Amino acid sequence: MRSTLWQKLFSWLDERLGLNDAYKNLLDRPEPKGNWWNTLGSASLFLFILQAVTGIFLTVYYTPSPDHAYDSIQYIMTEVQFGWLVRGIHHWSASLMVIVVFIHMLRVFFTASYKYPRELTWLIGIGLLLLTVGMGFTGYLLPWHQMAYWATTVGTQIAGSVPFAGEFILKSLRGGPDLSALTLQRFFAAHIWILPALLVALIGVHLYLIIRHGESHFPDKED
Amino acid sequence: MTDETKKKINAKYERELLHGERFWPDSLFKDAIVALGIFIFLVLLATFVGVHDSPKADPSDTSYVPRPEWYFLFLFKFLALYGQIPVFGKIEWVATVLIPGIAIGLLTLLPFIDKSPQRYYAKRAMPIAIMTIMVLGMVLLTMTADVPTVAADGSGLLGNLQTVAGLIVPSLAYIAFVGMAYTLKENAVRAIAWTTALAAALMIGFTAATLALYQPAAVAVIEIPTTLADQIVAGQDLYSVHCVECHGDDGKVEEITGVEGLEGKKISIISSKDVLYTVNDASMAEIIAYGRPDSGMNPFGKAYNPEGLTRSEIDYVVTFMRYTWDDRFEAPYIAPLYPPLAEGEVPSYSVHIEPIVKRYCISCHRPGKDNNNYLMTSYEELLTTGDNASHNLISNDPTSYLLQVIQQIPITDPASGEELIGVMPPNKALKPEIVEVFVRWVQAGMPK
Ligand code: HEC
Ligand code: HEC
Ligand code: HEM
Repeated sequence: MRSTLWQKLFSWLDERLGLNDAYKNLLDRPEPKGNWWNTLGSASLFLFILQAVTGIFLTVYYTPSPDHAYDSIQYIMTEVQFGWLVRGIHHWSASLMVIVVFIHMLRVFFTASYKYPRELTWLIGIGLLLLTVGMGFTGYLLPWHQMAYWATTVGTQIAGSVPFAGEFILKSLRGGPDLSALTLQRFFAAHIWILPALLVALIGVHLYLIIRHGESHFPDKED
Repeated sequence: MTDETKKKINAKYERELLHGERFWPDSLFKDAIVALGIFIFLVLLATFVGVHDSPKADPSDTSYVPRPEWYFLFLFKFLALYGQIPVFGKIEWVATVLIPGIAIGLLTLLPFIDKSPQRYYAKRAMPIAIMTIMVLGMVLLTMTADVPTVAADGSGLLGNLQTVAGLIVPSLAYIAFVGMAYTLKENAVRAIAWTTALAAALMIGFTAATLALYQPAAVAVIEIPTTLADQIVAGQDLYSVHCVECHGDDGKVEEITGVEGLEGKKISIISSKDVLYTVNDASMAEIIAYGRPDSGMNPFGKAYNPEGLTRSEIDYVVTFMRYTWDDRFEAPYIAPLYPPLAEGEVPSYSVHIEPIVKRYCISCHRPGKDNNNYLMTSYEELLTTGDNASHNLISNDPTSYLLQVIQQIPITDPASGEELIGVMPPNKALKPEIVEVFVRWVQAGMPK
């Protein structure tokens, strides 16, 4: 049988990468009848990827120091080509992601999709919800403007009201008794390395579990 | 859960798959449409709404009212309402740590608490009811986040309404749910559904009443200069108000005149290369914030001077100084202070005089300065204040004191020959075209 160049290339790659297997296992899966509520998980994933892409662009110009953070953001907004668009998307998408992830959680709750065999998926999901909120909290400080500064002051104070350990938590969040350059550096590290790394890892497990157990069906009177 | 039930669940799932859809292309198609919609929505938001500006962080400005990200607002409101409860309200960590901690804990362990295999909605009235009330409470608390618990006139009505909507009704509903689940058992579904509806209606009603009764105080909108040109202009205005009295509008003053306590003091020319080349932006901002108290310049940072400048404002002043005097910086296009007058055009206060006064006179002619009690911060003040108010501005009279002093003619006391009012501004004459604006304005009877 004669085959075109493309077919040759495909079969060469397939032998090595297992493209056909991947297609069968990842894409060509049967699912119960779904509806638009089922798109919220992938919408969360899309927003996460969008945040990663726009966030990487922002770090090109952003400087995490109290002296320059504010000005570097102003620079992005006024001087950098399409900087306003990238920051605008990152800003709004952060809020939207919190909403979408939360509603995704509600949909899983109302359809009782957290029950056997998807308990772990739920557990990982709670981790994802907390990490998403954590991303919002740490990211909010980075522009180093008045709202950010004072909101974080109060936010960390609340964490500091934990009995016994409060003092320690407060100091480790702020890197000292007050908000300072250390706090900004810390929040920056958490926002661009620590939390995203955890998110990627947990999303990986989340998705693996979803493929392993398949999307749950919407319950009817028998369930 | 027995192996029997597990088998049943899995068998049911296999049956569902038989009349289901394919992940590719059916589900992914829907996912892609939603992603595209979200992306377009975000681009529109970024383009037409933009990002809300706020001035640069200023740790010394403790008067700033903190406002968390919107998705934490409900927690803050909850804290505020909880703080109103007598006795318990004083134990802060119950509301900040214990209650949120329990809520997150319950949510996390949900699959291990709710272990029944039943998934159909009607068989799960209790968890659904609890969650509905919870989410509704969060939404309503967020909506009332800006309503104070104690009104300006000291009345607690708003606070009480909010407490009923946000704490009391939900708590009563939860107690009722538990009670019904234990007493009615299998028949509790209807009762729980009705209780949920009733509680939700009450919560919405009380919140609506709160919002209807609350009259928000008008908030002053602060314009934040974002472009370089705007920042330079903002800096120039601030410089005019705070620095001109000592350093002059061009920074060239070498010997201070007309300032109480510093008369005749020799200072360095701050617009000279000597200063601009040796002092970098950070040190310049520091000089302005900390002042030179030993030689007579008072600190301008908010921390040392309540009427002083914020961090952003100090930065604008430095930007202004750089782009105006430092030959290493090239200033962008900046709109003129006032629109140039055409032949025979009559100047007005708001368009011409106000910006001029703001730049050249207000630094001395505002409360708390030595100025013969002549204040210039508004139209009324300009016309009516001053020790010589009746002579300063007389409609269509070229001997108005103000016109004389800005034309380098000091006013002297006819009896003693003593100088009453020196020339204005004391340190440097106004440009002829600006004097011309004042002259024409007085000629026309000082229109507003
Ligand atoms: C009450 C009078 C007064 C006011 C108002 C004032 N200054 Fe000064 N300034 C001084 C004196 C006095 C010195 C000390 C001069 C010296 O040491 O040569 C000084 C020094 C300075 C210097 C340092 C010059 C050097 O030699 O390094 C700078 C920069 C400066 N002022 C900027 C400002 C700015 C900007 C403002 C407005 C925010 C301002 N000043 C307001 C009186 C004043
Ligand atoms: C450096 C500070 C300073 C600046 C700038 C300044 N003044 Fe004055 N002004 C004074 C002082 C001080 C007096 C009190 C009289 C005196 O000592 O000469 C005064 C008095 C006056 C009076 C007389 C008020 C009265 O009722 O006796 C007029 C009119 C006046 N100024 C006009 C102006 C105008 C117009 C400008 C702006 C173009 C201006 N001044 C800028 C310091 C200033
Ligand atoms: C960054 C955040 C998250 C991402 C990217 C994500 C992604 C996904 C995706 C793509 C799916 C499959 C499609 C769907 O059902 O919508 C899914 C399903 C699921 N998610 Fe998430 N999710 C996130 C957060 C959460 C949270 C907060 C929870 C709950 C606490 C959760 C629990 C679940 C469960 C139990 C399923 C299986 C649903 C079913 O099989 O019907 N996830 N998630």
